[in-house]
Amino acid sequence: MKYQSQKIAVNFYTAALLLFAVQVVVGIIAALQFMWPDFFILNFNTIRTLHINALVVWLLMGMMGATYYVVTEESETELWSIPLAQLQFWATVIAVSAVVIGYIVMGLFPQANIEVFGTQLLNEGREYIEAPRWADILIVVSVLLFLFNCLMTVFKTRKFTAVQGVLLGGLTFLALMYLPGMFYTKSMVKDQFWWWWVVHLWVEGSWELIAAALLAFMLHKLLGAEVRVLAKWMYIETGLVLFTGILGLGHHYYWIGTPKYWLWVGGFFSSLEPIPLLLMVWDAFRTTRETRVAVPNKIGLYLTVAHAIFNFVGAGLWGVIHTLPQVNKWTHGTQLTTAHGHLAFYGAYVLLIVAMIYVTLPSIRGVKEFNQSKGYLAFWWMTISMVFIVITITGAGMVQTYLERLLGLDYVTVKASYNLWFWIFRAIFGVGFLVGVLILVADFFTLGKKPLPAK
Amino acid sequence: MSTNAAKNLFIYGSLLCFIVLIVLTIDTMGTLDKRAPVITDQVDAGKKVWHKYDCIGCHTILGNGSYFAPDMTKAVERKPKGYLKKFIMDPRTIKADSAMPVLGISEQEADDLIAFLDWIAKVDTNGWPPKPILIAAAAGKAATPGQVLFQQNDCSACHQIQGLGGTAGPDLTRIGLKHADIEWHIKHLKNPESVVPKSAMPDFAHLNDEDLRALAEYMVTLK
Repeated sequence: MKYQSQKIAVNFYTAALLLFAVQVVVGIIAALQFMWPDFFILNFNTIRTLHINALVVWLLMGMMGATYYVVTEESETELWSIPLAQLQFWATVIAVSAVVIGYIVMGLFPQANIEVFGTQLLNEGREYIEAPRWADILIVVSVLLFLFNCLMTVFKTRKFTAVQGVLLGGLTFLALMYLPGMFYTKSMVKDQFWWWWVVHLWVEGSWELIAAALLAFMLHKLLGAEVRVLAKWMYIETGLVLFTGILGLGHHYYWIGTPKYWLWVGGFFSSLEPIPLLLMVWDAFRTTRETRVAVPNKIGLYLTVAHAIFNFVGAGLWGVIHTLPQVNKWTHGTQLTTAHGHLAFYGAYVLLIVAMIYVTLPSIRGVKEFNQSKGYLAFWWMTISMVFIVITITGAGMVQTYLERLLGLDYVTVKASYNLWFWIFRAIFGVGFLVGVLILVADFFTLGKKPLPAK
Repeated sequence: MSTNAAKNLFIYGSLLCFIVLIVLTIDTMGTLDKRAPVITDQVDAGKKVWHKYDCIGCHTILGNGSYFAPDMTKAVERKPKGYLKKFIMDPRTIKADSAMPVLGISEQEADDLIAFLDWIAKVDTNGWPPKPILIAAAAGKAATPGQVLFQQNDCSACHQIQGLGGTAGPDLTRIGLKHADIEWHIKHLKNPESVVPKSAMPDFAHLNDEDLRALAEYMVTLK
């Protein structure tokens, strides 16, 4: 390890992976509740809130950890303030814990979710951004401290690299896009309009910038590929991400009470959204082929390429199949969206953070070679399980669309008709996914700490 | 293309897209209030109830949310308000196998919530959700006067016959076996609670005697 600052990344990775395990455990509970609604002490809505919030928060913490690492490496200096980074880490952990406790209390005693200053105290009841206003403010402060620390570090040595520019630009965009979700509006239509600004411009905007920057960083670190070429393609990818993604926001404005022209805007731009994701796949393969060096960290490269592929398949393909208004009219609000959500998040962001951990952790722990077998094992357990989960939910979505939207059967009847098969399979593969996560967590704690067997 | 050209394209191109988005947003914001009814204090109170109980954690609304429970966009069109009110406050006395828990929603909150759902149902959603193809086709196949009345009064919003229709009320596929008496059905349609205690079904006393009899005759044929 070159810099003490990079130890901070391990703190963030640890918290992220523990939350990842929590996310998957509550995910399995949610899958079981599809069969037995009263299965657990908390109702489905609270379980689901925990499931998606844990996901979002652990990915953000993973990104923060990765960014602290990248900034010190690219700027070739220690962080501007290590104590501030530590404070920011613990403040985030405490804030997140407080929010989680609030959700659980609200789940057990719904009446405790009183209104304070025009907003709910424990859970705002807005998907993905359920965190109450006081927590929103704490999260913003935490992100600002984080960004400030990173920017001051860059200014210390004034090494403005392309990767840093896009990474910190993406993170700033991320922080700004949290704000449209922080005010109350009486109209549910306006509520959802601004809510999509947060959710969509995060996962199909700023987060993809961060992904493109980290992809370029990993390819450079693993393969020693030329920065100039990597940077050029990174700009082309991120440019296309934003040209298609920003106005692609329109695909959420087809049916929520917004004007008809969004059908054209959303349909046109969002059907182009897979193109930059395909470019990233090509970029990963081309760079790997052209450099032709022996890579000691094979698992890191493996995960990097897998992230690019599944980003394209999950976010790109699974998104584009139902993004045109002519199709979406029938599929909107069905399990097809769930299928897309699962594969997109797994490919685009889960694998991104897991790849970043495997690329950076050996350097942090100061090992050149380490036992990579557990990493592959974790990857395949998770990936095969996730692919089957997604096939299962996609099937459910197709059946649901057919029965509910075309035949006009009632939602409750439809849900009962595919309960047994789809949800049993989903729960089984959910357990398979958890096995993968547990292997990953175990490997994370032991990686590089045991001497390798003599060859 | 040089790295610098790519960089400039990325920066200025994205800015341009974002400016277009802001222009469209300003235009959209100007039209939204015209595409929905006026928001009363009760509708706003209802929206706050929606948030308080994290309804979106199980339900979708306008198609967005969680896919565990039915979409609420057109709930008031598919279920009588009296039924909804009882259901919201105590789901399982109305529908024994309901997956919805008792959340402790007060009567006032239930009224507000229904006012909010009433508002949502009237929002112009560009024709979503679409009318199911088969239901529309079945409407043309009504043969007996009873069947015609069954469709005119939208009974299938709550009742299923051979898998088609809602699940708020009992399945009527074999109702003729359970209640074979025409007079029972007429009484039931006039005042459901007189023969089925705690029934959440609205009464159809406004129908004339001839129509009530035709409907009841149709009911006893369902075996």
